[in-house]
Amino acid sequence: MNDGYNVIGKSVGRIDGKVKVTGQAKYTGDLRFPGMLVGKILTSPYAHARILSIDTSEAEKLPGVKAVITHKDVPSLKYGISPARWDENIFCIEKVLFVGDKIAAVAAVDEETVYKALKLIKVEYEVLPAVLDPLKAMDEDTPWLHAEYPHNINTEIHQDFGNVEKAFAESFHVRTDRFVGQRAYQSPIEPHSAISMWDGDKLTVYSSTQSPHYFQYYIARQFGLPMGNVRVLKTYIGGGFGGKLEPTGLEFAGAALAKITGRPVRMFYDRHEMFAHNRGRHRQYMELKTGVDKDGKILGVYANFLMDGGAYTSLGVASAYYAGALLTIPYDFANYRFDMYRVYTNLPACGAQRGHGHPQPRFAFESHMDNIAHDLRLDPIELRLRNARKPGTITPNEFKVNSCALEAAVEKARAISNWDEKRNNLPKGRGIGIGLGAFVSGAGYPIYRTNLPHAAAIIKVNEDGSSATLYTGAVDIGQGSDTVLCQMAAEAMGYTFEKMTIVSADTEAAPHDFGAYASRQTLMSGAAVKQAGEDVKKQLLELAAPSLGINVAELDCRDEVIYVKKSPEQQRTFAEVAREFFVKKGPLVGKGSYTPPKLGGKFKGAAVGTSPAYSFAAQVTEVAVDPETGEVNVLEAWDVHDCGKVINPALLHAQVHGAFFMGMGESVWEEVLFDENGKILNANLSDYRVPTALDMPQFHSELVDSYEPNAPWGVKEVGEGATTPTMGSIANAIYHASGVRIKSLPISPEKIWRALKEQREE
Amino acid sequence: MYLPDFDYYAPPDLVEACQLVREFGNSAKILAGGTDLLHKMKHTELAPEAVISLKKLSELKGIRYLPGQGVIIGALTTQNELADSPLLHRKYRSVCEAAHNMANNQIRHIGTVGGNIVNAVPSADLPPILMVLGAKVKLVNIDGERTVPLDEFFLGVHQTIRRDDEILTEIEIPDQKTTGSTSIRFGLRKSGALAVAGAAVAVEMDGETCRSARIVLAAAAPVPMRARAAERLITGQQITPDLLEQAGAAAARESNPRDSIRGSAEYRRDLIRILTRRALHKAITEGHV
Ligand SMILES: Cc1cc2nc3c(=O)[nH]c(=O)nc-3n(C[C@H](O)[C@H](O)[C@H](O)COP(=O)(O)OP(=O)(O)OC[C@H]3O[C@@H](n4cnc5c(N)ncnc54)[C@H](O)[C@@H]3O)c2cc1C
Repeated sequence: MNDGYNVIGKSVGRIDGKVKVTGQAKYTGDLRFPGMLVGKILTSPYAHARILSIDTSEAEKLPGVKAVITHKDVPSLKYGISPARWDENIFCIEKVLFVGDKIAAVAAVDEETVYKALKLIKVEYEVLPAVLDPLKAMDEDTPWLHAEYPHNINTEIHQDFGNVEKAFAESFHVRTDRFVGQRAYQSPIEPHSAISMWDGDKLTVYSSTQSPHYFQYYIARQFGLPMGNVRVLKTYIGGGFGGKLEPTGLEFAGAALAKITGRPVRMFYDRHEMFAHNRGRHRQYMELKTGVDKDGKILGVYANFLMDGGAYTSLGVASAYYAGALLTIPYDFANYRFDMYRVYTNLPACGAQRGHGHPQPRFAFESHMDNIAHDLRLDPIELRLRNARKPGTITPNEFKVNSCALEAAVEKARAISNWDEKRNNLPKGRGIGIGLGAFVSGAGYPIYRTNLPHAAAIIKVNEDGSSATLYTGAVDIGQGSDTVLCQMAAEAMGYTFEKMTIVSADTEAAPHDFGAYASRQTLMSGAAVKQAGEDVKKQLLELAAPSLGINVAELDCRDEVIYVKKSPEQQRTFAEVAREFFVKKGPLVGKGSYTPPKLGGKFKGAAVGTSPAYSFAAQVTEVAVDPETGEVNVLEAWDVHDCGKVINPALLHAQVHGAFFMGMGESVWEEVLFDENGKILNANLSDYRVPTALDMPQFHSELVDSYEPNAPWGVKEVGEGATTPTMGSIANAIYHASGVRIKSLPISPEKIWRALKEQREE
Repeated sequence: MYLPDFDYYAPPDLVEACQLVREFGNSAKILAGGTDLLHKMKHTELAPEAVISLKKLSELKGIRYLPGQGVIIGALTTQNELADSPLLHRKYRSVCEAAHNMANNQIRHIGTVGGNIVNAVPSADLPPILMVLGAKVKLVNIDGERTVPLDEFFLGVHQTIRRDDEILTEIEIPDQKTTGSTSIRFGLRKSGALAVAGAAVAVEMDGETCRSARIVLAAAAPVPMRARAAERLITGQQITPDLLEQAGAAAARESNPRDSIRGSAEYRRDLIRILTRRALHKAITEGHV
């Protein structure tokens, strides 16, 4: 027997690979139930308006229509994913707050009838002046969206650690830069959908969701049901990236329609409605001021930010905190001040998008760092190495960083990209840039206050030991958690991956887990799964020990073989012992649960950004910029990640590739645009330009050795952190190639063209 | 988003198709690939009473060469068929390239050359390269047919000289004296992005001297636009880099692009300068590419 691992650390094929590539996998929108109706939501055409009347009578008369509902037919309790600011209603009551705000819903026998019925609902509005410019949202004479939130201030943060003013006073060089991040949208390939059905007072909701748990919690709360009466489950998910973490309205409206009609109701968004519902990345205005000593060591940082939250809170409170909180992770400095306003505007609500609040500030900081390097005539990598965080350190905002191989990652990125050679010798129009990144491996605290464990798992071994099923609340949204968690279960049990099956993300069949967000599942769900697997193994070994005439402590199990450690030829099979277990003791079941240690400081907002572990990344990108048209061609990129022990290298590298792809889109192309009335101009994939396969450059994803003591097998995250370095590395490469520093995202060809023109005219 | 109600016809031959088109007039729409028509119908920009599909008219498909006349392209030829045609590759690779560089594979697989022309939008990729090669289009109705230069076909956005009862059946690229042609488009990503600006050129070179030139700009005006001032500037002249730059500047001056979410008029105008110069250089030095 070898000493290494048998199942983890290997690129086993995805457990759902075959059903997905053969088209057998059924997504929520593919499901059909007897008598199922189709439902849709009517939304507001105005950005800000008072609702004077809603007349549904014509729609109700249309043959095939089974129910039409408005706010009068549903609970008026406010909800939201951030308990601190519940500010949404299932349907608007007095006012609509953005183009796309929800007014009414229809259920009918088919899609065609639903669309016709929506057109027959008559709503009278009194149009109000709309707040569309976040920079003016707090002005004295600007109308307020919500009476409870004066001057449209949704979230206000003032954090101060150490003494920033003193640090600036003592600095050799102090620099201020202002950056702007754009509104971006997650654009998962699968549109949101939900199917709701009642059986008596029990509600079942199939949903395309990242978190059955939060959906269950909020649906139960809205309808005054015990959580046990609400079952939320998913089938397969075609991506979420943060956009499917909170209730979308489809579940609430669908549940109400299903109750009234007594039939299952399938609700869905089309691509346009996805953009209107949004919850994508905030537009952020970011001013950064940094003081360094003469060697470039950072002495203090002041981050003064404002974000456009849109009409509702969504996950925005957390986004606002994350924006500043995680700036302290990659670079080590002692003095830090962070001010933030998140303001309401009459635009779609923003929320969590891959990297939650952090990628834009990271872009800003990485650009700012390059400017400082330029001022000091230092190589950008040299400046970063002088400031890179080291393992076993604590940030000024009291995050404890255990494992950290950032320096090694930077050095490796420098080597594999051939940085030293390229940085000084690339031809005109070509450039190379670096950006660093970091992220939490799971949030230290859940979204609402509760003492529930963060993750739990059950493993049930089949009666004859020939298979085992993992039950987990963790959610595979395409990232591959079902595969990774089965690998972990098999490893912990001493079993094989091929014999694992999984039941995941079903609030009734599987134990609690908060779901797929904050890059938490490999570490947190993984910890629960590992414990459950070890529980199975322990029970088996205890049963096997007497039959082998040996003490339990001297036994182990690997690859389905229970053996005596000192004389491995003495063995019994897993299956045989498992069967014996069932005969003698009943079902062989292992259990596990995970609660992170108490983390973080005592100041306001101290919880956001805490995590058992932090991932790190260094990314180098090479680009070509057409000096005449401003066209950007991303030529090649090198990513080096510190994400602890890797469970499945192929899935890990796929995450890094995907994250780079998304980050590249946000760097150069993607931006949600609005007209002067707050209507989206590009709610489609033709004019909201995510990159295509042809735009993807040659990409190298590499790792550095790292082990996280706080995590099962030493794992850390990769899903979101991988997005964080990209915008900075591309921005810096563009600067190197073109000589112009574009401070607003996306760094579109036209912006580069304009800057080059201005530079020539100067 | 849902298609409105309409009656659907798929006539078996051109005669019946012409009868139907005459009968319905402007209350019907002709369906080719549908990549534009169905999109507009879903977004309620169009709600025709009837949709008349041309899909059964196999005589409108395919590309052939008629000696002494030119290359004949059936209106229903898809953009991918255009891109992959060995005949066109030999004669005017520039047309293949233009088709290959437009839209995305899915659209090119079903979108037709006829649809791309009759649709009549300023950013369309095929009209400019066909126009610089002097292409003509054949319009057929129940009474007869007429052949018109593509140059005279467009009147405005979604407006052409085609009468409601006419079907575009084929495009003819006449035999040429030109020595080179090409088109360059500027899109905001490598696939699936409409042109922000484009320039197609065809030149007849005699040594260093340009005997004649045609330049057509995309997304530069309400219709695919002849850059006549730029053409005049180089016709009969010795070609120098400076002259090409001047031609680009002339094209930019005579163009009339508009602001849109894809680019400001100012940016587009400068792109036209750059693309015109580059396209001229390419056609002069590399032939039909
Ligand atoms: C995602 C996407 C990307 C696109 N990208 C591009 C691009 O990069 N470049 C570009 O140029 N276009 C692009 N288009 C636009 C458009 O789809 C194409 O121009 C296409 O060529 C239209 O051809 P079709 O056969 O699908 O036309 P249809 O949609 O069938 O018809 C278009 C119009 O022409 C009329 N028509 C069609 N054929 C005939 C005929 N033989 N006689 C008379 N009338 C006729 C129809 O009645 C209709 O009004 C894109 C479209 C989409 C959806």
